[in-house]
Amino acid sequence: MLGSRMKPAPGSVFRLAICLSILGFLGRAEAQVYQGKELVKAELLADTNAIVPGKNFTVGLLLRMAPGWHTYWKAPGDAGLPTELKWNLPPGLRTIGGLQWPIPLKTNDPGDIQTYGYEDEVFLTQEIRPGAKIDDSRLTLSAEANWLVCEKICIPGSANLQMELPVSTTSASANAELFARYRQLLAQNWPDSKTATANWSRANSELRLKVTSATLSKYPAVDFYPIPPENAIIGHPQIGARAPGEVSFRIPVESPKTLSAIPGLLVFAERPNGTDRAAWELELPTVAPPRVLGHARRVISFLFFGFIGGFILNLMPCVLPVISLKIFGFIQQAGQSRQKILRSGVAFAAGIFAWFTALALVLIGLKIAGRDVTWGGFQFTNPYFVLLLSVIVLVFALNLFGVFEISLPQRLSRGLLASSERKDDLGSFFQGMFATVLATPCTAPFLGTALGFAFTQSPAVILSMFLVIAAGMSAPYLLLCAQPAWLRFLPQPGRWMLRLKEVMGFLLLATLLFLLYVLGAQRGVAGLIWASCFLLIVSVVCWMKGAFLTPGAPAKTRLIAAITMSILLVLSGVYFIDKQFRATRYAAKEVRLQGDWQAFTPERLQAELNQHHPVFVDFTAAWCLTCKFNEQSVLENPVVRAAFQRHGVTKMKADWTNGDPQITKLLQQFRRPGVPLYVLYSGRSDKPIVFPELLTKGIVLEKLETLSASVVAK
Amino acid sequence: MKTKSILTLIASLAVATLWAIDVPPVGSNAPDFSLTDAVGKTHSLSQYKGKYVVLEWFNPECPFVKKHYGSGNMQKLQEEYTGKGVVWLTIDSNAPDTEGNITPEQAQKIMSGWKTHQTALLLDPESKVARSYGAKNTPNMVIISPEGKIVYEGAIDSKPTPNPNDIPNSTNYVKAALDESLAGRPISNAQTKPYGCSVKYKSS
Repeated sequence: MLGSRMKPAPGSVFRLAICLSILGFLGRAEAQVYQGKELVKAELLADTNAIVPGKNFTVGLLLRMAPGWHTYWKAPGDAGLPTELKWNLPPGLRTIGGLQWPIPLKTNDPGDIQTYGYEDEVFLTQEIRPGAKIDDSRLTLSAEANWLVCEKICIPGSANLQMELPVSTTSASANAELFARYRQLLAQNWPDSKTATANWSRANSELRLKVTSATLSKYPAVDFYPIPPENAIIGHPQIGARAPGEVSFRIPVESPKTLSAIPGLLVFAERPNGTDRAAWELELPTVAPPRVLGHARRVISFLFFGFIGGFILNLMPCVLPVISLKIFGFIQQAGQSRQKILRSGVAFAAGIFAWFTALALVLIGLKIAGRDVTWGGFQFTNPYFVLLLSVIVLVFALNLFGVFEISLPQRLSRGLLASSERKDDLGSFFQGMFATVLATPCTAPFLGTALGFAFTQSPAVILSMFLVIAAGMSAPYLLLCAQPAWLRFLPQPGRWMLRLKEVMGFLLLATLLFLLYVLGAQRGVAGLIWASCFLLIVSVVCWMKGAFLTPGAPAKTRLIAAITMSILLVLSGVYFIDKQFRATRYAAKEVRLQGDWQAFTPERLQAELNQHHPVFVDFTAAWCLTCKFNEQSVLENPVVRAAFQRHGVTKMKADWTNGDPQITKLLQQFRRPGVPLYVLYSGRSDKPIVFPELLTKGIVLEKLETLSASVVAK
Repeated sequence: MKTKSILTLIASLAVATLWAIDVPPVGSNAPDFSLTDAVGKTHSLSQYKGKYVVLEWFNPECPFVKKHYGSGNMQKLQEEYTGKGVVWLTIDSNAPDTEGNITPEQAQKIMSGWKTHQTALLLDPESKVARSYGAKNTPNMVIISPEGKIVYEGAIDSKPTPNPNDIPNSTNYVKAALDESLAGRPISNAQTKPYGCSVKYKSS
């Protein structure tokens, strides 16, 4: 077998001797002979004396090793090679599942070399399904087996094995004792969560596995046999701690650094390698591709949903303060000519379109640049964006209170635009943009699915999606402007308008409180205070503008005021924001968790699913009012809480306030551009249930019921 | 009975911990060593500072080693890279009275009989160097940079079998790493899972 140039140790020649065995269900055995000694005898054996069409049966590879020699498990450990079995089945037969490996023995060799394998004998079984109709009267099953057998030295062996079985309508069992003996040695599926739970965690360069189970207390020898994924390089599991009903393992991980769990067997016995050994198989948690409710495929239907979603944006909680602004604008316009009203409406709509177009272009650019981008408040994950918005809202509020009048944009626009009428148009235009900026974090129902779809599409589809959303959002205003008769139902302008303006100033201050709450969630109390310091200076600057920078003031006063205002803004910006605010840390996530909620991490989710626990994940963010509304009115409702508890559901919060990239990734998996997102994993292999973005008690309770219904059905 | 098994378990764990071999990670300083070769000449790692050094753990009885020597694959690699100024040290770390342990005379015979091209075939019967590098397999490959840092450790190639027919269809990690290093590029695959027979350490 080796090249002639090579002269290995004397007599190191091996050959295969073929021993013919009796025909029939016993098959034929082959032997591996080395230096005149029979090392391994291989044969195929079936658990039946005949193939019955449509009735599954099992065939096994029996390897009998010479005393002292061993072959290897599918995960051989530090050395060795797993035994391999390649089937060549006649038409009508096919394999079901993979090769079944008995729980191996663990061997420690000098030099800290750990291997997993079998001594004396091993039987690897394979389930086979015959077709419903088989024409032949006898079928021949062939397989090529390859193994490495080692004592002090290792010798590779191989055999081409065959077995013939008659096809019949009835069959009797065969080799029952052998099959029964090895069935005993197969690992069991991981038991239900009441019997045993497994938890993975990561500590620096090692993974920790904690298994909690009362069953384990009965066994002095407990071990974990890892089945490392391909390319993973891991060290030996070591028992970290053992307490009654609990055992921990530490597994050093060399690479990859992202490894979060390792499949394997939890083996327990009276003593290490005992013949009574039993095991539970710990699998990697499967995160199945999601089942999206109301998923429609056609671009047209998504564009339609985009339009509806855009319309509904007007009703979303985070747009409500802006709606009052808009209504105020209409009331003001009601006193003007019909033509002016129409122009304002069109300008307002143009503002909405401009914002969405800009957003679409930025997103397309970023998508092309290969960055992870999601809509629905991706700006809100950026504290500087929130800060900028706070400044804008504060300035608007002070303006409504009459602290200062906006004269600069008018002067500017006078330069830019010839007619004075267009000033209002420009104002409407910016109002439209401002309204949409605030609407962004509210991913309305329909819109989420529609946008999630759009992001997998070409730039053209993304752009048209944003345009229909803009059309949907501006539709009611254009409608009102086209039918100004409806505007006449609005009250006449008067003294009350000033009061309304002031009231709306307070509404904007309430919006500011919300924005500050977001900043606090992102950057903690320190960040909140430094941002507020800056806002205080902004207020002073606004006041100075109203008091000294008036069109009627002397030129000298105006100059000094302008210089002082600029210095104040620059200095406070540099000190409070660039120096102090920037140095604040992201607030710790865990602090915000309440009650029975756990912080979401992909590892935690995997660990829970590993144990077949049902898991509910709430994807939320401090700045998402829809999320807060859902949480307060539905998820924290006593009836819903009780239902979660009754079904043993683990509740996790995935906090996207700061745009956590791991959560962004999962949102994308669910084709969602943003929060809120609610997902229920049943803990079994079926697909997770995705809830609509506006939750109701009814729908949550209903889905929780299906959870137990399918458990019963199972 | 139960207590006894628990004690046995604890004892074996303690022994395992004492015996535990830490693999120096890629990027760390390569532990220095000094060993004699087949003709009794001493080679130390420090004397090769300034050159790329390949360490190859060896066992003439191991089918995984035979796969690469029987096919001429290992000799070809040795010839190519020693020709490019790389130092290639083959190390036999198998303890006396184990399969694969060789005397200086056997080492000379293997080198001439197998037409090998390494810089030297070093004998490490006390497994000291294997222990300091955490070598568990034959073949186990390590590449050391001219600055004395470990830049690659792991398998010779991507197919963990003893079958020489798999060589043409496998990626040779050592060749790739050496080519990248010599061209001044970073090594794309700096750590892989080694495969093969176990290094036969002395039983304690």
